Amino acid sequence: MLSLPELQFRFVAALYGGSYDSLAQWIDDDGIDGEARIGIYRNNMREAFAKTLALEFPVIERLVGSDYWRQLVREFQANHPSRSGNLHHIGAPFAAFLRRLFGATPYAYLADVAELEWAYQEALVAADAPALDVGALQSVAPEQCAKLVFALHPACRLVPTGYPVIRIWRANQPDVPVPETLDLRSGADLILVRRAAASIEFIALLPGQFAFLQALSRSAPLGEALDAALAVDDAFDAAQALRRFVALGALTGASI
Amino acid sequence: MRAACRRHADTQVSEAVSDLSLDATPLSSCREERAASCSGRVRTGIGLRAQHHAQIVAQRPAIGWLEAHSENYFAHGGSQRESLRKIRAQYPLSLHGVGLSLGSIDPLDRQHLRELERLVHEFDPMLVSEHLSWGSIGGRFVNDLLPLPYTEEALQHMAERVGQVQDVLGRQILIENVSSYLQFTCSQMTEWEFLTALVRESGCAILLDVNNIYVSAMNHGFHAPTYLQAVPAAAVREIHLAGHAVNRVGPREIRIDTHGEPVCQAVWELYAQAVERFGPVPTLIEWDTDIPALDVLVGEAHEADRVAQVPRAVAA
Repeated sequence: MLSLPELQFRFVAALYGGSYDSLAQWIDDDGIDGEARIGIYRNNMREAFAKTLALEFPVIERLVGSDYWRQLVREFQANHPSRSGNLHHIGAPFAAFLRRLFGATPYAYLADVAELEWAYQEALVAADAPALDVGALQSVAPEQCAKLVFALHPACRLVPTGYPVIRIWRANQPDVPVPETLDLRSGADLILVRRAAASIEFIALLPGQFAFLQALSRSAPLGEALDAALAVDDAFDAAQALRRFVALGALTGASI
Repeated sequence: MRAACRRHADTQVSEAVSDLSLDATPLSSCREERAASCSGRVRTGIGLRAQHHAQIVAQRPAIGWLEAHSENYFAHGGSQRESLRKIRAQYPLSLHGVGLSLGSIDPLDRQHLRELERLVHEFDPMLVSEHLSWGSIGGRFVNDLLPLPYTEEALQHMAERVGQVQDVLGRQILIENVSSYLQFTCSQMTEWEFLTALVRESGCAILLDVNNIYVSAMNHGFHAPTYLQAVPAAAVREIHLAGHAVNRVGPREIRIDTHGEPVCQAVWELYAQAVERFGPVPTLIEWDTDIPALDVLVGEAHEADRVAQVPRAVAA
């Protein structure tokens, strides 16, 4: 008699490419071979995974082509199997996987593109949060302002890249039949991903602005965030940046 | 080498803060009125798909209710959940989970259960359901509905897990039979005997998927009506109808539960028998892949009404 835990371990091992032998005597193979029956489940599992990943990373699929994409997905699934009953989560380690594969090659840009695509997915489902109460800020004493700590809106993401990733993304959207050829050295986008009313937006930030927002997002007090921005751009205008980020809804909360 | 940072001037910081616009946008909060839950027989419902949300809200099709896949609405923000609120304001809602992996010997995913509880609390569904299956082990998920061996051990385990979920949610859940492509040699009873025993052990109800009964009956060579006759009638609180595909493995046919086709004639006939046995049980048209136009789903729902002889005058 095979225990339930043992049966389940052997079953999933067989689905993930392990040997069928330890399972063979426990599966009724009347009419259709037991291994073929397991094959149906294996096929279902692979198709569901591949379909979900393609929905989450359509630009990567388009960039690498469908043949190589199939191979990539197989390798990714073997190394990073689904760890949740919610298939949506399978994309979380994909950018890091691509970086390990391609980091030292001319295809390193794929990892950055995947970072942007995953940030898009996260922004779609992230919690909402109330707008920053700017009225309350007026009562903060001037000498206290440097200590203010803000939070990045939960549906915002900051994605630093080394390539013109926004243009690569746009050029590979479904409504663009033939993507333009881009010079990979023509940009290094520092991207704010935000959820607007009906869609996700990508905003390319200047280095000072990005450093500022990144510091704020890491709970650095306002004074330190300003220092971080000035280190990158000594003409950084804090007032303009704050106004812009508040208007974009990128900041929530403010405490000392 | 990093250049030395220029220390900010406190005035620059305080000016930046005071420079912000004084208009504070008031936080909007609105509560939609909840549609009254229907009592008694409702018209046939349809599975809620993302691509139909806007159309359902705008056109208010003549269906009795909608069923959403719970996991699709776990997101804490974004348009899906907001859209579900609008739909819930117009129709009764059922929540159908596919990812809890109840039959797995892995511990229940507490976070998943919390999310489900949050969803149930917010949307006040008429029914909450999951599957007679498992889909994970050792933390690796298959994201499919794998069949259980029908053993005493599996029964006790499944009953204990169903009990846990019912305790957390504070309500009865429905367990749905799945289509299967294999049977285990160690099974000690039939699937319908297992399901019947599960009802007795855990106090759960049954979501009877008539298409899945047909698919499994054809795949394993049992008589589909036997299943209908065997399960306790009082426990059947929802019926699913769906389509399937016929594939071949070598010379043999096998039916695959795609839920991506119209309901076939044999399943309509089996449904008619189910209505005769179980009476006016809420029925749902399930279509999960190759989603057609909303009209097609509504058409299938009206066909189910006709088979069940639901009077047209019954309000949705």
